[in-house]
Amino acid sequence: MLGYAFEEALASLRRGGRAAAMSMGTIAIAFLALGGFLLISANLQRMVQRWMESAEVSVFLRDDISDDARAEVEQRLKGEDAALQVDFLTKDEALERFQADFPELADVTPTLGSNPFPASFEVRLRPGATVADEAAALATRVSELSGVADVQFDRQWLERVLSFIAGVRVAGFALTVVLLLGAAFTVTAVVRLSLHARRDELDIMQLVGAPFGFIRGPFVVEGLLLGGIGALLALLVLGGAYASVRGWLTPALSGLLAGEAASFLSFGDMLLLAGAGLGVGALAGLVASRSAR
Amino acid sequence: MIETQNVTKAYGEYNALRNLTLTIGKGEFVFLTGASGAGKSTLLKLLLLQERPSEGDVVVGGRNLARLSPGEVQAYRRTVGFVFQDFKLIAAKTVFENVSFALRVLGVPIDQQRRRTYQVLKWVGLQHRLQAFPLELSGGEQQRVAIARALVNDPQIILADEPTGNLDPELSIEIMKLFREINTRGTTVLVATHNPELIRFVNRRSIHLEHGRLDQVGGMP
Repeated sequence: MLGYAFEEALASLRRGGRAAAMSMGTIAIAFLALGGFLLISANLQRMVQRWMESAEVSVFLRDDISDDARAEVEQRLKGEDAALQVDFLTKDEALERFQADFPELADVTPTLGSNPFPASFEVRLRPGATVADEAAALATRVSELSGVADVQFDRQWLERVLSFIAGVRVAGFALTVVLLLGAAFTVTAVVRLSLHARRDELDIMQLVGAPFGFIRGPFVVEGLLLGGIGALLALLVLGGAYASVRGWLTPALSGLLAGEAASFLSFGDMLLLAGAGLGVGALAGLVASRSAR
Repeated sequence: MIETQNVTKAYGEYNALRNLTLTIGKGEFVFLTGASGAGKSTLLKLLLLQERPSEGDVVVGGRNLARLSPGEVQAYRRTVGFVFQDFKLIAAKTVFENVSFALRVLGVPIDQQRRRTYQVLKWVGLQHRLQAFPLELSGGEQQRVAIARALVNDPQIILADEPTGNLDPELSIEIMKLFREINTRGTTVLVATHNPELIRFVNRRSIHLEHGRLDQVGGMP
């Protein structure tokens, strides 16, 4: 039965020509959008994850802090579980770093009269999912210590970036669902066309008592092939596009990705896309074939 | 074998069959006669489950057709061979494929499909036209292909709706000879026709319909 269904479905796709190609194209566009969103959001998420792992809490000290108070702050910081490393940065070192990071502004700093940069402790955080909360609590506790002017925790904005990425991902999925629905309707229409082209044959199949699986099978397989080939096309185009930009993208991103190269979709994601293509196509074929009774 | 009990089939206001009750025994050869619009084709459609009666019961082989599920309908149809005036052959398939198709959709192994298709095509005298397409055949040959397809899965009943309607008198007699031979093997044959020559030639019972009603059940003419 399966052999018959594939044989008839392939013959129908050959007969369908342009309509079948259009249907595969629509599926491919939908899956290109889905794959693109997956690819971009996965790399963005990885990038932000790297940033989070190297995130720091900066504890800025008042200029008039006593040595005892500074030692107290340092001791408290080193005792925190979330802290991996605690470095002290003097006012002069902070100025030097500013001049090194912003050489074009180096001329401005002497005109300020005194060094405006505060001394600070830079706390490297231990990587991990729960550290963000611990570090936020740490920032709150340390900010209450005497001699502490301000505490900045750059992970907070990174988390906002992460939630933005999650939002982009949700929007991407929503758009993909709309595109997939469109693709499913196209597949249904194409399968219905081939069903009408074979109306006489179907009538005869019913009269000779062919099981419904035999009557509907070719149409389900036709949808399956349209969806599967469409998704495969999308993966090929996405892979080709990724390969062509990877050359210049990797050096550009290597800093952001802490030396790691940008990566393509995982094998699991590719399987998911191909499976979704097959599933959407088969479902659309099944819906269309329900009129073959 | 075939029983209809008070069967009425209405299409809107028009009653194609009215309160029809008849019985056809197992192994019988029966003609269904009457003018165009008398209800012959409607009765065959009810027996093939292409239509459902508006009222009454159609019972075949002890099974009330109204109570069959869609899957059971398909199983029932496998026990019935059909032959139509317009042949209903698939133009894109060869003679051999048209006949073996009835076995293929039933999942019969390919070697059995080949053997049985060849046997039945040989029986109707078309073993030399296996690879021809329907449109390359004469009307009589096309009808013989349709008969071969109806017979290939060894049905208990053959239903034929004006099977000689498109054929000249000589070919019509040839086709009737085939039906008579099928009947001698024990298959119940029901042929709808309005051709009295054929009825006389075969010399079997005829059921005459008029305006959807049973007009008379004749014995041998």
